[in-house]
Amino acid sequence: MPRRKSARRQKLEQLIAYPIDWLEERSGLIGGLRYFLLRKVPGDTSWWHTLGSATLTAFIVQTVTGVVLAMYYKPDPDKAYESIRFITDDLTFGWLVRGMHRWGASVFIILMFFHMARVFLFGAYKYPRELNWIIGVLLLVLGMLEGFTGYLLPWDQTAYWATVVGINLNGTAPFLGPFLAQFLQGGAEIGNETLSRFYAMHMLLIPGGLFALIGLHLYLVIRLGVSSPPWSPEAAGEERVEAPPEGRAGLVQPGPRGGYAK
Amino acid sequence: MSRRLDERREAYQRYKRDVNERGKPFYPYAMFHDTVMSLVVVSVIAALAVIWKLTAEEEPDASGALGVLYGEEADPGTTNFIPRPDWYFYFLFYLLRIFKWPDSVILGTVGVPTIALMLLLALPFIDLRRERKLLRRPVAIVAAILTVVSMGVLTYKGATARESLGTEAVLAVPEWVEQQQLPQEAEAGARLFAESSCLNCHIYLGSGAANLGAPELTEIGASNKGVDYFRQYVANPAKFGNQRMPPFQGLGDENLRNIGIFLDASKGPK
Ligand code: HEC
Ligand code: HEM
Repeated sequence: MPRRKSARRQKLEQLIAYPIDWLEERSGLIGGLRYFLLRKVPGDTSWWHTLGSATLTAFIVQTVTGVVLAMYYKPDPDKAYESIRFITDDLTFGWLVRGMHRWGASVFIILMFFHMARVFLFGAYKYPRELNWIIGVLLLVLGMLEGFTGYLLPWDQTAYWATVVGINLNGTAPFLGPFLAQFLQGGAEIGNETLSRFYAMHMLLIPGGLFALIGLHLYLVIRLGVSSPPWSPEAAGEERVEAPPEGRAGLVQPGPRGGYAK
Repeated sequence: MSRRLDERREAYQRYKRDVNERGKPFYPYAMFHDTVMSLVVVSVIAALAVIWKLTAEEEPDASGALGVLYGEEADPGTTNFIPRPDWYFYFLFYLLRIFKWPDSVILGTVGVPTIALMLLLALPFIDLRRERKLLRRPVAIVAAILTVVSMGVLTYKGATARESLGTEAVLAVPEWVEQQQLPQEAEAGARLFAESSCLNCHIYLGSGAANLGAPELTEIGASNKGVDYFRQYVANPAKFGNQRMPPFQGLGDENLRNIGIFLDASKGPK
């Protein structure tokens, strides 16, 4: 029988448990968190499986640094360049924030491709995870669009002319192309309208889409579970000959977890 | 068909049972790996930012190991540089060089990327086998290798593709004057033409690149449209139904007139 807890200790435990219970009773969030943290994953998940959360981390870095940049950046052709110069040269640690946002974008894209390669090589897009693959492809497209719209914002020569070419390329598409190009450009030439549009898309529209899709993506990951590495001898879901029940001497000597059918 | 579905469902049930019986909790096991990896990612990003800043500051003229902190301010008028997208668009950039205007450029801008995207989206429905072991998926291996190699080659080619730089084209101006027997008053326009971004899209006497379906301008003066026409055209091509060429209003009247004189005088090598 466990030793009786001192009254003091009991009180302390109650004090800690109270806000947690309060929150749980009213929201069920604690139970959700417990489920998320303590849910079982295949015993053989490996470093390969960290590429998805690495991508998520890069995305979070982009969000945080992006919010800071938005506090100082001015989406106006007359002021944009100067505000970027200010952030880089004068603002305390502005160069770090801008540098992390700029290079984080490349890291984010690279990690997305690596994560996709891992999913492909593991055959993890197969039943029942088809939908999550499709959401992933949409994330890839949105991620690259985010890169395209962000490229114009510093309003330097590279930014401007790469966007001129980019918009013109859109214009070559049949049917919708010219409309798309006109929509992106916003006016007769690349200027105020264009910059506002790119800013709105880069800050609100595309990140909003990314947030929603990432949420859905992670929901499906938790609901369906991540797949085992297919080459692992422990791979979950693999067909295997059941080891004979205990107590009855088997004719075949079973391996530690039974042999495999194939 | 339904037998295959049953098999897949069965396999997934087996997966869930296995994970339940033999899996480990996400926390702390998988979460440990994820946390380490996330720290690595943040460190790498911060390190890139630091390297970018330090190397670019050391030698302000030369771009640092990771490029300049910022380029010159955007100037819709005089430009003499290469329009470069970010590296992950290099492959698209180069596709445009493979498919030439006007017959097949749509293949490059729309066709190939759309087909690639469709294939990606459809992948789980094309590959319906349950097999996940890589060595038993020869088609997948070949497709993966082909994709990686072709994207790598296209990206590399896009990164190293040299479009004519305005500054280099200026060196060719005396040669233009001689070959085209340009009058003296056309020389200022020739230099402007070489320094502005015209050669990114147009070819002139073998310099430049044919992009977006822009015509060669070597013999454009032979059309005898007149200085004024060219001046207005270049100032605002949209007015002439050209949505692909950017307006050069920003060059100013004087410069536009000079370009007009130069174009009008370009009647092909004698
Ligand atoms: C972004 C690409 C691009 C740039 C940069 C560009 N052009 Fe053009 N230009 C075009 C295209 C495309 C056409 C053809 C449009 C058409 O056929 O409707 C064209 C057509 C023309 C024409 C008309 C030719 C004719 O047959 O009537 C002239 C003249 C011209 N460009 C001059 C210039 C000059 C001068 C510059 C530099 C100041 C320049 N362009 C820069 C894309 C460009
Ligand atoms: C914003 C970008 C993305 C984020 C934040 C993200 C995040 C994640 C995370 C955290 C996982 C859990 C397992 C793991 O880490 O490997 C996962 C799994 C998965 N992801 Fe992504 N992902 C992104 C993009 C993509 C892309 C581009 C694809 C493919 C086209 C994709 C397809 C999948 C699939 C099919 C799974 C299930 C894998 C399995 O069960 O083994 N994701 N993702």
